[in-house]
Amino acid sequence: MAQPAPKSDYQGKLHNLQKDMIGRYYDSLTAASEGRGKKAVYMMVSGNPVELIQAFDMLPVYPEVNALQLAVKKQSLPHILAAEEMGYSTDNCAYVKADVGMYFAGRKTPFATIPEPDLILCNYVGCNVYLQWFEHLAEFSKKPIYNLDVPFSRNMVSDEPSDDDVSYVVKQLEELIEICERMTGKSLDFKKLQRITELSGETGHLWSEIKKLTRERPAPFDAYFDSVMMMAPLYCLRGTEDGLWFFQEAYKEMKKRAEMREGPLPEEKFRIVIEGPPPWPYLRQFRDMFSRWGAVAIASTYSTVGGIWEFGFQHDPLRPIESMAKHMLQFNLCNRNFLQRYQQIKDYIDQWGADALVIHSVKSCRLFSAGQGDMREYFTKQLGVPTLLVESDIEDPRYFAEAQIRNRVDAFFESLEHQRMLVKK
Amino acid sequence: MATTPVQEATRLHAIFESCREITQDVEFSAAKQWLAEHPGRKAIGCFPIYCPVELIHACRMLPLGIIGAGNQIEITYADSRFQSFVCSIVKSTLELGFTKRLEFVEGMLFHNICDPARNLASVFIRNFPGMFVDYIHFPQNFASPLGMQYLQKEYRRILDALQERSGYKPTAEDLNRSIQLYNRIRAALRELYRLRSEKPHLISAAEQFLLTRAGTLMSPEKNVEMLEEVLAALPTRATRPKDRIRVVLEGSFCELPPVALIETIEEAGCYILDDDFLRGWRWFTQEVPIEANPLHALAESYSERAYYSGSKHDSREVKAAHLIKMAQDQKADAVVIMAAKFCEPALFDYALYRKALDDAKIPHLLLEFEEKTWIFDRARSEAETFVESLLFD
Amino acid sequence: MIYAGGVDVGSTQTKAIVLSEERKIIGRALINTGAMVSQAAERAFREAAADAGIAAGSAAYVVGTGYGRYKVTFGNAQITEISCHARGANFLFPKTRTVIDMGGQDAKGIRVGEDGDVKDFVMNDKCAAGTGRFLSNAAETAGLTLDNMGPISLQCKKPVRLSTVCAVFVESDIMSYLAEGKTVPDILGGVHSAIAARTVALVRRVGIEPEITFTGGVSRNIGMVKALEEKLGFPVNVCDDSHFIGAIGAAIFALERALTGGVAATSGADKAAKK
Repeated sequence: MAQPAPKSDYQGKLHNLQKDMIGRYYDSLTAASEGRGKKAVYMMVSGNPVELIQAFDMLPVYPEVNALQLAVKKQSLPHILAAEEMGYSTDNCAYVKADVGMYFAGRKTPFATIPEPDLILCNYVGCNVYLQWFEHLAEFSKKPIYNLDVPFSRNMVSDEPSDDDVSYVVKQLEELIEICERMTGKSLDFKKLQRITELSGETGHLWSEIKKLTRERPAPFDAYFDSVMMMAPLYCLRGTEDGLWFFQEAYKEMKKRAEMREGPLPEEKFRIVIEGPPPWPYLRQFRDMFSRWGAVAIASTYSTVGGIWEFGFQHDPLRPIESMAKHMLQFNLCNRNFLQRYQQIKDYIDQWGADALVIHSVKSCRLFSAGQGDMREYFTKQLGVPTLLVESDIEDPRYFAEAQIRNRVDAFFESLEHQRMLVKK
Repeated sequence: MATTPVQEATRLHAIFESCREITQDVEFSAAKQWLAEHPGRKAIGCFPIYCPVELIHACRMLPLGIIGAGNQIEITYADSRFQSFVCSIVKSTLELGFTKRLEFVEGMLFHNICDPARNLASVFIRNFPGMFVDYIHFPQNFASPLGMQYLQKEYRRILDALQERSGYKPTAEDLNRSIQLYNRIRAALRELYRLRSEKPHLISAAEQFLLTRAGTLMSPEKNVEMLEEVLAALPTRATRPKDRIRVVLEGSFCELPPVALIETIEEAGCYILDDDFLRGWRWFTQEVPIEANPLHALAESYSERAYYSGSKHDSREVKAAHLIKMAQDQKADAVVIMAAKFCEPALFDYALYRKALDDAKIPHLLLEFEEKTWIFDRARSEAETFVESLLFD
Repeated sequence: MIYAGGVDVGSTQTKAIVLSEERKIIGRALINTGAMVSQAAERAFREAAADAGIAAGSAAYVVGTGYGRYKVTFGNAQITEISCHARGANFLFPKTRTVIDMGGQDAKGIRVGEDGDVKDFVMNDKCAAGTGRFLSNAAETAGLTLDNMGPISLQCKKPVRLSTVCAVFVESDIMSYLAEGKTVPDILGGVHSAIAARTVALVRRVGIEPEITFTGGVSRNIGMVKALEEKLGFPVNVCDDSHFIGAIGAAIFALERALTGGVAATSGADKAAKK
């Protein structure tokens, strides 16, 4: 049966390190907004060439991360409402609405003042909403935009992008280099780019090793709720010495926990895979619903939005541009098709050892969610994996019906628990 | 012997009625009949918005507009795959598959319209294993020539896949013949739109919608004949101009509005002078040039001379520019934005349109619709009120 | 003698059941929930105990279910109404393999195992399409009540096709049809048929296997029973006690626990949940 939720999140020194580093990152955004910092490049989190941006000493700004921070800090609704007043629909992605609302509210947030973009770099990796989001920002800010078009992973036979796909992205990255050179007045320091790519490669490798630790029983951390804490450094600091240091510390700490057989909960009763982004405005409540049942996420698809490293990809300092292209084409969740996502989940279930799949279906992000009914069908009927689908939103607090979701979660684990008892009998 | 105006009116009426029948036929009898008459030939379904039909045709296959199921079928299976916040066309197209109504097509072509359409292609692949399903990546970088060059390669890839399914390997001449045929269709459609904007009482937007939509469900050879016949008969059509406001309509480029909804808006007192229904299957503002490399001609036409579409993200122009221009060119009194429920591209566009239209002092009305509705009292009241507000202003 | 209790705290009504050791229903109560949820739960259970002729305190084990289950503070455990409906349906109709439950704001499909365990379940998504709320809006627009709309719908000759299953827009649809001169039975026939289709589509996600037991407040509507049977192609089980089914299921869980040493079987958790 369900227990009152124990204190569940992982609270090691990593948390403080994360807070500290991300705090400094946000300070650099505020500095840029006040004209005493680097040039700001807006990008999408998923499959981006941040290495190149770092090589030009420019500052990556992620509207997605800002939007989710607003939601976590319970600041999103007024901005969403402001955007809806402007004409955005209730059916539009609420990340966009929160961001647009915040933009027109002077870009001031409790965590930073977000700088105006110097360049809007739309790395189009499968998210069609992003194209519009950045189009809108470009119109509002009247700042230059470059759509870096990444062919969608649509090869149904193999995961591999074609040579045409790779060379198309590489050539666009070369155009981007020219743009950055013009903007900064500096030419690309290839050695520096190589060093940054090396840092990225090592960071990605450590992240993949950390993720593999949840194959242990108990999993040393929750691969959904705790991964979130590690994702911010992965996005905002990838390719920096700080970023690498964070992941070295994280690996050491998680490895130790795994060896000590310490998990995020007193007892790991159910091992689950969670698909879909979290309900940021109600992250704690959502987590507690699972903790009460002793359910720990041992893998999650959301933690691969920024990149998929756990299946062998690593940035290559000898071929920095090509490896960025590969990362953007093939090794991030967003640019992969739905069936590739089924396979990814199936791999988690098989290789990490999971009892069940939980799908968190969010209205805002249809890239993630549209068609998850088919996913549920595939896992329950074709593979016989118990699957729960619950709905809410990533950003809009109005879509979180706590009693409804809790009811479904409870019923799901009641049934899993019952089936387990039957097996034991 | 020359036909009399009465005979012509009857003939036009008959054409429109047969088009209505074809567009409401979720069994696709017209296409099936063509297949029966052409043994060994195959049909390829084209999901909106844009599809390189010439490639399909040049492979001696029949391109078909598989664009949802309108209000003719009840969704009983597809609801379980796509959530309530996903637009209707995604579900009704899938429902066509689940109810075995697409078994007669060899395959389906999808492309990057929006996220649900993107995932729909995968769901098709999983649920209909025998079907050929491909996904065209239309480039979204038009600031650089790379996008257009890439599209040419993408067309090559699609053409290779298609010819494998058809068993016929088209030559450049084949492709150019197909381009010429579709150029004729597009020219006829453009001419119809031109005529309509000049004399809107001659043909209504709903009638033209029927022609265009039915055209996607029959062979292009038959379609061009039909369109040219209508074009010949229209100028002498005996209809009286009505006292209506002049509007242009935008936002229905993917999911199709029910014909009766278009009629409702017209009856509410609007002449719809231009619209983006099916993007008109006009697609290009000019003819696709006949070149030694037809794939280049097609890719370049898409990149340089395509009509605006909510799924083509062209940073060379601000979003509302084409709409303001369309309204001004048509001397429209107002703009109607008719967006499908849950259609993110159209609804996002609206946010920018609204401001741009306000700034240009062009009155506008937003109507949301779903293909599956057939009662339009709400839309009628909204449209009537809007018209009244302009007339009595 | 061992007694066990089940209390189902719903948003409008609270139901309580007392079971004897022989799995016989010996007491029941139904009251309006109101704003004081905890008190309602307690009062319902006291009334059910009185109905059974026992003291409320003499029940060995009490399980709370329904949305207000955590307000059953005097109970020993809380179990969702999904598990309870499955168990209750199994009690009333042991061959039940599929439960269709339609309440005020939920519609659910549950696939049930031989001993009444939940194999899989689905629930409606956010919009109120396909729920009791849709029906009550429709009834109100047609000037009827929930109770008489079902029988009237059976007089339908040619059901209209509703253009929406949206609980908000259904009203304008009905107004349009009334204006067109369609008869109330034909409109109601359309309403029931649309909801039945939607519900069957929902339940299909867990796989429909007979026997099918139809529960929840809407199961008292004969029009919906017929419409469902027509769409399913199977008869469905309904019974007068169907609105008690959640409470019955809860009481069965309670009895099982009471008989297996009750509190010991799930001790820590239960105490924790009792807090």
